[in-house]
Amino acid sequence: MIRARWWGPFFGIGLALLVTSGALALGGYDVGEALAALWRGAFGSEQAIASFTLKRSVPLLLTGLAVALAFRAGIWNIGAEGQLYAGAVAGFTVGLIGGGLPSFVLVPMVLLASLAAGAAWATLPTLMKLKGGTNEVITTLLLNFVAINLTAWLIQGALQEPRGVYNESAPLPESAHLPILWSGTDLHVGFAVAVVLAVGLWIVFRFTRVGFLVRAIGEGPAAARITGQVRSNRIAAGVFLASGALAGLAGAVQVAGVDLKLYESLSPGWGYTAIAVALLARLNPLAVILTAIFFGALQAGAAGMQRAAGVPFAWVNVIEAIAVLGVLVAAREREAA
Amino acid sequence: MRRTFGSVVALDDARLEVARGEVHALVGENGAGKTTLLSILAGHLTPDAGTIEIDGLAIPDRGWTTREAWDRGVGMVHQHFALVPRLTGEENLSLGVRRARGGWALPTDWIRRRVEAIREETGLDVDLRTPVEELSIGERQRLEIMKVLLRDPRILVLDEPTAVLAPSEVDGLLTLLRRLAGEGRAVLLVAHKLDEVLRVADRITVLRNGSTVLESDRSKVTARSVAEAMVGDAEALDTPERTEVRVGDIRARWLGRDDGTDLELRAGEIVGVAGVEGNGQRTLARALSGRELTIDGRVHLPEGVAYIPQDRGREGLIGSFDLTENVALGHHGDPDVRGGPGALFLRWSALTARTREMIHTFGIRTSGSRAAAGSLSGGNQQRLVVARELHGSPKLVVAENPTRGLDVAGARFVHDQLRRLRGADQAPAIVLVSTDLDEVLALSDRIYTLVRGRLTEVPAAERTREGVGARMLEASE
Repeated sequence: MIRARWWGPFFGIGLALLVTSGALALGGYDVGEALAALWRGAFGSEQAIASFTLKRSVPLLLTGLAVALAFRAGIWNIGAEGQLYAGAVAGFTVGLIGGGLPSFVLVPMVLLASLAAGAAWATLPTLMKLKGGTNEVITTLLLNFVAINLTAWLIQGALQEPRGVYNESAPLPESAHLPILWSGTDLHVGFAVAVVLAVGLWIVFRFTRVGFLVRAIGEGPAAARITGQVRSNRIAAGVFLASGALAGLAGAVQVAGVDLKLYESLSPGWGYTAIAVALLARLNPLAVILTAIFFGALQAGAAGMQRAAGVPFAWVNVIEAIAVLGVLVAAREREAA
Repeated sequence: MRRTFGSVVALDDARLEVARGEVHALVGENGAGKTTLLSILAGHLTPDAGTIEIDGLAIPDRGWTTREAWDRGVGMVHQHFALVPRLTGEENLSLGVRRARGGWALPTDWIRRRVEAIREETGLDVDLRTPVEELSIGERQRLEIMKVLLRDPRILVLDEPTAVLAPSEVDGLLTLLRRLAGEGRAVLLVAHKLDEVLRVADRITVLRNGSTVLESDRSKVTARSVAEAMVGDAEALDTPERTEVRVGDIRARWLGRDDGTDLELRAGEIVGVAGVEGNGQRTLARALSGRELTIDGRVHLPEGVAYIPQDRGREGLIGSFDLTENVALGHHGDPDVRGGPGALFLRWSALTARTREMIHTFGIRTSGSRAAAGSLSGGNQQRLVVARELHGSPKLVVAENPTRGLDVAGARFVHDQLRRLRGADQAPAIVLVSTDLDEVLALSDRIYTLVRGRLTEVPAAERTREGVGARMLEASE
């Protein structure tokens, strides 16, 4: 099983900070100053919290939920990255075409388009898994490359900015921009949407019938089918598509809330980091909020740490990796015997 | 020896003494602590208190590690084999050998010499060239025993070795165990099938509720006295009388083959389906219970079919789910556990209450409704499955080898429940699909034989061990 014991995340984060501090000290850095700068960059001010940490956590939160949902059902969706690109392109295109519409109509349309596109991008892997038994790890991973390159092709062609000079799109019409959530900062409503979705997903898992059945097909597929008489394929298909939709939403939220244009490299690999976010949260949607913010804070504080203590940015990636390794170490070795 | 898991005491005052050259049987019901004791012996678990001594050499209080257990000569053949399916017997054997034997190359020559020597000494014959996945269960078990013997253990421990074997393979194993003991090793056999144990053992130790309750030479005990020691209650062993048969209402038609075959069921009646494994039992049970209809044909089933699958650990339960969740798995559609807007929610409080009641009524030994189902012993897992499946007055109950792998009390519990059910007010029709002929004969009102997918009813006059047995074989020619 891939779910850790409850103390796993604390162990992982503690281990990561310990190992990193040790390594930094050995490397001759001022550890205290580095960690203080990391903290200041992430939580030192309203701006740091909202415009950096929380804003950066939004795509991680949405893709993290996508991964947690799929993994809970035993579906190894590695394709959040590609689904995010699909959602970003679809959301942007709808925003561009519908530029004349009022904001309260256009923004929901943008978000719905991204949900649909993310689900659509997960459709082929879903069908191949459930009809033909093809391993979804392979199909979703390969489709990531397709989505990324297809996006690049569109940005260098049909969606390129009118002068055709830069590898980026025309700006997104203002009526498609996400409203600001915390005035005076850059934090947009996408954060609130993501948190509501996380709480909602938690309620679904914890209290609802369908959430229970999703967990059942993930933890004991044979028992779910035979004893529960669960129609596993229908549930698995629904979960797979919903996972794709959540990842797609992450793309549109990033484009309409932060980038306001379509760039070729719109994601620095959020769809993959999402796997770490979800695992660190033990696939618990509420905990995904915290782990996404933790990862967002590391990214936000890294710049400050580099400036103040000269610690290279890449060190936060080390912290992330060790934290997840720590969680996996704490994973249940076997189902109770 | 003492060992607790949370609030559950698994072992308390357990003693076990095994001498060289003897076959020693450790018996006890499911949950009596056999597996825990073995795990401590093999170094998988540490005892809370107690001592282990081998040839006068004491083991430290902390218990020992798996490696230390090996080094002191404890060789364990587990219930679940640790073999790599795609590798041949020889390759599997080489996995257990220290690398030093052959440098980086596989120690093929050494293994062949040792295997030949052991074969001459004990008569243990293994297939070295075939991939393990193509071997029968019995052949795999011999390979597993060979793997352990390569290390020349002083004490050979076998955990439920006969549970997986066909009756014809059991004799061979028991003979082998005798010869192994004859070579001066100690053989510790853990089992719950009493007749087999009594055939081969020199000495017997009985565990009950984690304590040693009987330690005796084979010659001084009878099957009856051992069974009583295991259960702790002589009266419970006697079978109750049969209740009368009522005529009922279900008729299922199963087309497992081109010409089709009929099975008639009536409420308040147990219909036994006897057959040699592999004649379509699984398909029949699945079809009758409405699960995974993988055959052509039409089965007219009532609402509410309970199914007790053979593979309870995989198909009947989810080990990582707690007891309440496992109860919910069978009942998530019941109107009285659904609630909230659109009945989309499960009423966990109601399910917890239902689970507690089952724990109480069916005597499930557990630390509570929040315990993981995987932490229960086999017998208690089956109690949970039976409790859940019989809840809510089903119209049809399909039980597939419901006592396989269970001990005397566990099997008796299942049999009692089926009999009780048959005599209940709104009794369901009950189908018992079993490869255990004695079980079928003891429980059934009517008996069918299942041979290559064809069901044939056995006339009343032929419902004897010999009669049904002959029909099972005769028709298969």
